[in-house]
Amino acid sequence: MRLYEYEAKQIFGKFGMRIPQQIAIVENIEQLDDFSISFPIMIKAMVLIGGRGKAGGIKKAKNIDETKTIISEMLKLSIHGYSIEKILLEEAVNISSEIYLSVTTDPATFDIVIVASASGGVDIEEVARQNPEKIWKKIILENVKELPGIIADEAVEFLVKSDSNLMGSENQLKTTIQSLYSAFQTVEAKICEINPLIVSEDKNIIAADAKVVLDDNSLYRQEPLLKSIGIDPRSKRHDISEQTIFEDKAYRIGFPYLDLLDEPEKFEKEKDKLYVGLVPGGAGYGIFSIDEVVNVGNRYFNGKVVPINFMDSGGGPSLSKVADMFHLLMDHPATDLIITSRFGGISSCDIFIRGLIMSLRDRYTKRKRMIPIFGRMVGTDLAAAREYFEKAKRETPEPLKDLHIVVGNKKIMADVIKDGIEYGFKIKSQDGIKR
Amino acid sequence: MVEGKLKPDQGLLYYLIKEIRPELAEQITKTKTIETMIVGLGRQGTRHAQLMMEYGTNVTCGVAPGRGGTKVHETIPVYDSAQEAINNHPNIAVASIWRHYSTAKDATIEVIKSGIPIVVLISEFIPLKDVRDILVEARKHKTILFGGNTPGIIFPPEGIKIGMLPDIFQAQIVGEEVGAKGVTILSRSGAILYHMSDALASAGIAQNGVLGVGGDGAIGSRFVDLVSLVMKYEETDLVVVAGEIGGMQEELLAQDMIAHPEKYPKPLVALISGANAPEGKTMGHAGAVIAPGQNYGTFNSKKETLEKAGATVVNHQRDLIEVVKSKLGKTYFEIEDYYNRMRKKWDAKSPEPTWGTLITNVMPNNLIIRGYPLQEIIARKGLLETAYLLNKGEFPVKQIAELENLALKALKDELFNDYNILNETDVAKVIGTFLLLDDNLSSFAREANDESKVVAYALGRVLKYLTKFFNNEDKIINLQKEDVSFSELIYLGLVGEIPSDVSKIKLLEAIITACVDHGVTPPSAQATRILASTRANYEVALSAGTQAITDVHGGAGQKAAEFFLSVVKNAKENNKDLDETAFETIRETIKAGKRIEGLGHRIHTQDPRRDVLWDLSEKAGYAKECVAVSKLVSDAFYRVRGMNLPINVDGVIGAIIADMGINPKLAKAVFVFGRIAGLTAQYYEEINTQPQMRRLAFDRAVYKGPSIREVPQN
Repeated sequence: MRLYEYEAKQIFGKFGMRIPQQIAIVENIEQLDDFSISFPIMIKAMVLIGGRGKAGGIKKAKNIDETKTIISEMLKLSIHGYSIEKILLEEAVNISSEIYLSVTTDPATFDIVIVASASGGVDIEEVARQNPEKIWKKIILENVKELPGIIADEAVEFLVKSDSNLMGSENQLKTTIQSLYSAFQTVEAKICEINPLIVSEDKNIIAADAKVVLDDNSLYRQEPLLKSIGIDPRSKRHDISEQTIFEDKAYRIGFPYLDLLDEPEKFEKEKDKLYVGLVPGGAGYGIFSIDEVVNVGNRYFNGKVVPINFMDSGGGPSLSKVADMFHLLMDHPATDLIITSRFGGISSCDIFIRGLIMSLRDRYTKRKRMIPIFGRMVGTDLAAAREYFEKAKRETPEPLKDLHIVVGNKKIMADVIKDGIEYGFKIKSQDGIKR
Repeated sequence: MVEGKLKPDQGLLYYLIKEIRPELAEQITKTKTIETMIVGLGRQGTRHAQLMMEYGTNVTCGVAPGRGGTKVHETIPVYDSAQEAINNHPNIAVASIWRHYSTAKDATIEVIKSGIPIVVLISEFIPLKDVRDILVEARKHKTILFGGNTPGIIFPPEGIKIGMLPDIFQAQIVGEEVGAKGVTILSRSGAILYHMSDALASAGIAQNGVLGVGGDGAIGSRFVDLVSLVMKYEETDLVVVAGEIGGMQEELLAQDMIAHPEKYPKPLVALISGANAPEGKTMGHAGAVIAPGQNYGTFNSKKETLEKAGATVVNHQRDLIEVVKSKLGKTYFEIEDYYNRMRKKWDAKSPEPTWGTLITNVMPNNLIIRGYPLQEIIARKGLLETAYLLNKGEFPVKQIAELENLALKALKDELFNDYNILNETDVAKVIGTFLLLDDNLSSFAREANDESKVVAYALGRVLKYLTKFFNNEDKIINLQKEDVSFSELIYLGLVGEIPSDVSKIKLLEAIITACVDHGVTPPSAQATRILASTRANYEVALSAGTQAITDVHGGAGQKAAEFFLSVVKNAKENNKDLDETAFETIRETIKAGKRIEGLGHRIHTQDPRRDVLWDLSEKAGYAKECVAVSKLVSDAFYRVRGMNLPINVDGVIGAIIADMGINPKLAKAVFVFGRIAGLTAQYYEEINTQPQMRRLAFDRAVYKGPSIREVPQN
């Protein structure tokens, strides 16, 4: 979970780092009347994505009129798809040097890695590419709770060597580095980053920006921390840009889902294309099945097949959750066909088929839209699933007449997808003739 | 049909163990088995332990804190800690961990520290900081760590799986034998692992090992740690890795392949997922996020570096099949045979749920306790020895004196005195009530660490209740004789004297021993087990079981005794022979709409306990008229009803009790007394081998009452 800048700064403040004084967090200009402000101030759009400066999300204001103009302009902005709902006003600090400092996880070894550079305030990846010698990097092998002073000293030495202006601030720098590390370990972050860490003209070290990404898996034991910065610990923050209605729905029910079409509720379908919804099993196959549909579409159907979603329907979903997964895609206006796969390891074929059939019977009785389903089930509890499926087909043939589930692996999934798409196009052309 | 398996010390799993713990591998070559351990026995851990065993994995033991000393799946010992498990089973080579994410770290570190070379971490959602602590420990011990969030690992030629993978993977087949060759598959995702194996098998390509490295962002052993290792295994012909967008595992592997080509002598095919994933969106796997502007983690970065390193990259099942087929130029089994094998799984009937018991095997006309026929036990062993056997699985060797002392002590210890039994006629109710009131027994059972001690003490206590019930308390108190045995005291307590003829003492004890157990199905055993499943106190569960003993179940002896006595009396009064009188009495009883007690059995047509009891009564000189009637009553019944109803154990006991000239109530009393031994065994087996609140035939419950209706006004 990524924190907003003002939240991250508050955390850093708790760990003894100096941060600019936060004046207010506002959602509209009317709220400004509640505060007395001494200028100049920084006005910052609170969005959960980087690159705000270039996109106009960070401005300096010298008086209240300027502030009002900037805020009303800023509220209209959208930064990389993120709309702006909150704006931070904070004390502006004068800058003498800008440092980059971060504690993150090394993607290769998963150890903690500390990165420091005296070339802060800019895109650090760019610096790393152009001038790798300007970057100091240290991997911490033992997952220690506190950063050993000797390592912090090494970082300070490097920084001072790179920027002589930092001379005299060694002690403050050292404590800041150690505090940031301590914060990273204590709040169980995935990333703690300050860019820039400012050395002011009066030689104070101030975190002018702050980025904290918490580890979702440890949120359950970080309740006091989250409460202290005003976050409800039980409601996980959704930190992707803007949710579509279907993403929102899936999020509420509790399974990972993403729309691949922009604004699917208003989406204009292209008449000659087939739009395929996916209930694919685990997350990995969730990603792969998108590729499979595209690949099969490109090879055999002139590229006229469009997968519409990512879904992780794996793990051990409950009966009603399985039903909701199918409901969601059948309520989705784009869906022409649903491809599903249940390769039961930890999850059960039996629960899957019961949930699926439950959704179809429900829709049939309520006269809701029915979509052809093609799929396959193999693995755990297959025997019970097959018995239930056969019985269900005898008992209620009508709602299940467009349910095509291969029992067992007599066909590989790629071929089931191909069959489904072929069938989907056939139905589509028949519908076209009928109209 | 090929049924065999590759020897464990020829397979890939053995090879991996040998690479890090050669001395353990040496043991495997001697024992010819790879021992595994399961850590975390919640619902999933327990269920998959069963599936692993069904597949062929040797699951040696389980670890679940607080459950040490119990069993899982009836026979697998459970320990409180990994270290304790290793102390008892030093050859464990693989552990799978199924603990909840909040306790997974400590459990995993403990397992790693115990020195187990291969650890399969199934748990998902483990906090990153905990994962780092785990990794620090794993590096120290050179552990091969699969996961977290792995579906596990499977080795089709050896028939070993550790984890939750479905049973679809295929080994090489050479003639009638299983072979070790094939491709080795590594994957970050579980379902992709299955889909890849499935695709390859459909083209006749075997898998000699299928390894889930884990779907989390931070995991134990990575592609770069494992691929060169499995390529060194000579039976691996080709390696397939399934990667996906996010992280840099695939790039690291490619870099290592470029830097050290000699480590990668076999072809590598990579299936990479996520070619069509939108940028900036987090997919379900924690690792699978494409962040704009990173020079690793994207589909293209992975594809390009891997191709530069000489691997073939595919993104479609059909391409995977074609590439692997062309690189290998051979197949490993007949595709048609493969489909025949799989068809058996598609068409399989769903298995009925079962649960096992190790105590008594009940078969028609045979009762086998812990492997010994009950009739032989009755003839040759005493009650305490039999009670010990029921509870511990073997006859006591040195322990018998201690058991005897415990039973005698129980007889001496104080009894709750305010329970007025003067007007009670039902002996089962009296014993059940005493059990509930018995503080001494309750605390003894809670404090004792051994069920064989509990059963000895309980038998002494129940004898004390019976002594009171039959008004023989004074006789025990005033006993002058020294060194009285428990067997003698049984006779004294129940009958009120100690006969000089040992065979009489033996006979009464044999009758009691005949009643000790009848498996898990009798209502008394089920009542005890249901209470045990809620972890009720021992004496409470035993009381419930005891009170299920009624005229319908186990309590017919008294009525049978009364019936035989009436036949004998009628015969004498009317001067008729027993045969004819039995026939007439049965006819009259049936006419009056009553049951003949002591006849018929749910399972046995010839009760295995019958003959041995008749023989012993003969030896003791108690085979008189009632026993004679008991031998012909079945035929007499046939003459009345035209049905074969064999005499049952209640009938035989009733007849002997009647001939002994003692209170017919004793017939039910001896049944309850004996059954205390069996119910104790049932109680402890339930506690020690079954989950709490076990689901007993939930699916069979069908509601047949009225459908939903409104509550009437007033």
